[in-house]
Amino acid sequence: MTGQIIGRLIESIAQLCLLLAIAPLVTGVIRALKARMQTRRGPGILQPYRDLYKLFRKGMVIPETASWIFVATPWIVFFSTVLAGLMIPMVAAEAPLGLFGGVLAVIYLLGLGRFFLALSGLDTGSSFGGLGSSREMTISALAEPAMMLAIFTVAIGAGSTSLTQIAGAAIGQNWRFLAPAQMFAFAALALVLIAETGRIPVDNPDTHLELTMIHEAMILEYSGPYLALVEWAASIKQLVLMTLLINCFWPIGLQPTWFGFGALQGIAWLLAKLLFLSCAIVLIETVNAKTRLFRVPELLAVAFTLGSLALISTFLF
Amino acid sequence: MLLIALLLIPVAASVASFFVRRREAMEVANVAGFGIVFLASVALAAQVLARGAVSLCNGFFYADALSALVILLTASVALVCSTYSIGYLRDDQQSGALGDDLTSVEQLALLRMYYSLTPLLVFSMLFMAMANNLGVMWAAMEATTLASIFLVTFYGKVTSIEAAWKYAIIGGVGLSMALFGTIVTYYAGHSLPGSDALSGLNWSVLAQHAAQLDKTSMRLAFVLILLGYGTKAGLAPMHTWKPDAYSEAPVPSAAILSSALLNCALYCLIRFYILTSRCLGPEYPGRLLLLFGLLSMGISVPFILVQQNYRRLLAYHTIDHAGIMTTALGLGGVLGSLGLMLHMAFHTIAKSLLFLCAGNVSQHFRTDLFSRIKGSVIGAMPLTGVVFLMAMLAIIGMPPFSLFQSEFLIVRAAFDGGHVLTGVLFVLFGTGVFAGALLHVGGMILGPKSDAPPAGPRPWRDGSLLALAVALVVIGFWIPAPLFELIRGAARVVSGQ
Amino acid sequence: MTPFLDMQIGDRIITLMAALVLVLQIAMVSQRWIVVHIRIFAAQSFFLAMIAATIAWFNHAPHIYIAAALTLVVKVILVPILFERLVERMEIHEEIEPIVNVPLSVLISGALTLVGYVVAESFYKPGEPGLGHNALAVAISLFLIGFFTMINRRKALTQVLALLSLENGLFLAAISLTYGMPLIVELGILFDVLVAAMVLGILVYRIRETFESMDVSRLRRLRG
Repeated sequence: MTGQIIGRLIESIAQLCLLLAIAPLVTGVIRALKARMQTRRGPGILQPYRDLYKLFRKGMVIPETASWIFVATPWIVFFSTVLAGLMIPMVAAEAPLGLFGGVLAVIYLLGLGRFFLALSGLDTGSSFGGLGSSREMTISALAEPAMMLAIFTVAIGAGSTSLTQIAGAAIGQNWRFLAPAQMFAFAALALVLIAETGRIPVDNPDTHLELTMIHEAMILEYSGPYLALVEWAASIKQLVLMTLLINCFWPIGLQPTWFGFGALQGIAWLLAKLLFLSCAIVLIETVNAKTRLFRVPELLAVAFTLGSLALISTFLF
Repeated sequence: MLLIALLLIPVAASVASFFVRRREAMEVANVAGFGIVFLASVALAAQVLARGAVSLCNGFFYADALSALVILLTASVALVCSTYSIGYLRDDQQSGALGDDLTSVEQLALLRMYYSLTPLLVFSMLFMAMANNLGVMWAAMEATTLASIFLVTFYGKVTSIEAAWKYAIIGGVGLSMALFGTIVTYYAGHSLPGSDALSGLNWSVLAQHAAQLDKTSMRLAFVLILLGYGTKAGLAPMHTWKPDAYSEAPVPSAAILSSALLNCALYCLIRFYILTSRCLGPEYPGRLLLLFGLLSMGISVPFILVQQNYRRLLAYHTIDHAGIMTTALGLGGVLGSLGLMLHMAFHTIAKSLLFLCAGNVSQHFRTDLFSRIKGSVIGAMPLTGVVFLMAMLAIIGMPPFSLFQSEFLIVRAAFDGGHVLTGVLFVLFGTGVFAGALLHVGGMILGPKSDAPPAGPRPWRDGSLLALAVALVVIGFWIPAPLFELIRGAARVVSGQ
Repeated sequence: MTPFLDMQIGDRIITLMAALVLVLQIAMVSQRWIVVHIRIFAAQSFFLAMIAATIAWFNHAPHIYIAAALTLVVKVILVPILFERLVERMEIHEEIEPIVNVPLSVLISGALTLVGYVVAESFYKPGEPGLGHNALAVAISLFLIGFFTMINRRKALTQVLALLSLENGLFLAAISLTYGMPLIVELGILFDVLVAAMVLGILVYRIRETFESMDVSRLRRLRG
């Protein structure tokens, strides 16, 4: 009994470290690859680490009009995202905190973070913040149902909403990926991934122009360590969603448990799959242009329809 | 042998018209071709009467009395329209109606297109009537649509293009539904032995084993077929392309479209009706046909009453008659089938005659509107005026003309079969059309005289008119026995005896 | 070679391709650029030809190969080339404004897919072996969505493409219901499709010339 608890604890710490360490790396890799594709030299892969280090050492400026929400949000966002990250299977099919929540918990935790971020954008009273918050809410209002439908499809296929079960069910079924329900769900989730992580064609993560900001607009007022926390949380959220996408559909290399030599193998597979997905994201970002804001609902309507088709296909196909 | 000749000659005429240089040669090719086709169709009718259904190429071609009748009617209309179009197109060329900015070379190209497409149109119609395979029948029907699209755009006006577009799109959608219905019919027969071969879609084979077809599929198939081929026939509510197409196409083409092509669309409906009624019993298809038939008749009444354009009036009239014939098919039985076949034959003659008269009027007065026809048609063109009025009286069912007999048969079939509401509505709508048509056309023909100069001699056009008019009058009183036998034979095919 | 002859695998492959065809049809509904429309149609026809070829393989029915090859030639190569040349000549790359806005049309297409499934259910009795059962549902959905797109769009060329995708659905229905129609019928239908594409292409060109636009809602002079 104690052994189990200690085991869980070690697993949680290990996954925590993995999350915190890899998240900025993923962001860095994506930026570097995008630069290369655009024939620029671009920042190095480790640049996000340097940015975080710099931000943590800087002083902070807090607007006078801000309330407790402004101060609390970075912490809430960071911790809710990390908690969600502990509930998904990254290296092993068994998520460390998997007992405490399945897929719904993950979605709601991420939603909690987004909620507070939107509030903080409104909190400072600046127009940019309000603009970003309203845009973010519009997108999430459409993206969340799509995500839920896609994930429910996968859950129905596995017979449970526990991510451990889902990943476990996916291991060892090679042809299952080709079932239409899975394909539709994958397509829907991929579109939602792009929307939630604020990538082109939904949002440009590198811009600070008023017309094109969504996520950046909400966090415009943050500085110093708070900004570091928020940015870190954003990259962790990106990592969480990417891992969810990968491990629900291509659970190759997912180990049954954390322990043993298999853990290193699992980490290696995870990094390889993340690299592959990063390349895909970079390709999508480079080939497409940012969609005008009022065309984004069209894209998300397609994601929603794909998600509903996925759900329906599990019953009909 | 006859069947192959019937197919090859129009193609030859079309190819000939495409390659010759002079307009007269094209005209000769067309008239000669259609003349031979007419003779061949008479010979085919004689053969069918003597020896029953003709079958060729292992059942690929199949002509029974119904096919022979439709082929005969198509050939006659084509012949008369081709003689008419000689005079009509010459007048158009002289008066510049083909387009003021066209050079003579371009005008010749336009005429070449007309003289090549019309035989192709007739070829597709003949092919369709003798094709046994339902899929091939569909392909031929689609070919008729494609061949006639450029006939509708003949004058190149803004309104012509609009009419052709509507025709193409609505016809295309309708035929897609008909194709779906054909596929479902094929599926309904897939449990029959030998359905994998080409003969699996053969009408003669399916009709023989109709009772074993899958019932649910046939229900769906018939609805799709009715919607699909009904669009081509111009049944309401899929009729919106008809007034536009008939008023924009050159008059001989409009005549062919409204009589021969209507017959072909009804032919397809009849074939499927026979299959469905043998599979599911006559009530299910009958009820659907009655619905669409009466709806078409009903919709045409208000549009006829307030019509201002006499070519559109004739188009709505065609919708009305498509409705009448569909109602007759829906009533079924011996009387209904006989009424249907008689009506088909009489309507072909009368409707084409009407369109040709309308062509005369529109070319002389250069307008399509009632209100602009100054002076009476009788004063300017006595022959046309008389024939127009007579044909109008015939087609709205005035005794002693032949259409009265066929419509009377249909009403009798309705009341005999217990379809009282149908009979009442039929008479009601018929009266409405009667009043409207007579009012407008009579007013146009018998208006006060004016100083419009009388039309000069028009040998080709007036000759064709006269031939048809004589046929119409004669048939009212005496149908030649072979023709009547053919009609009876066709009715027997429909009613299944 | 044994896995390649297994019916289950065949069914899976066909189901996969049918799903792709459906996704492409929905993508066509959400599309705005005419050239992309044409290319999606070409891709859709390609997958249809592949489905036909797969069914031919697993059912040892050589005549379906011919139908698949013809579909490939006509609908994947000839018709898209024809239309792309037409688009170049007319110089339209304009966006298309549908009557019902795009997100709603996508949702309606999803609903029509459901209707297609329900209709397809009534065709199959349990216990009847059928390769391509799912393909029939996709075929009916294609038919319904194509029909809806025709009503929804205003540009003439897009209406023609919707009509052609409707015919694609019918081809798929024929393949999945009865393993294709007799070869002569398939030949006739494909020939008609080709000629129809040419004729409609010419008509669209003339509309553009006469009306200075492909917007068919301007075709409203003939009334009553």
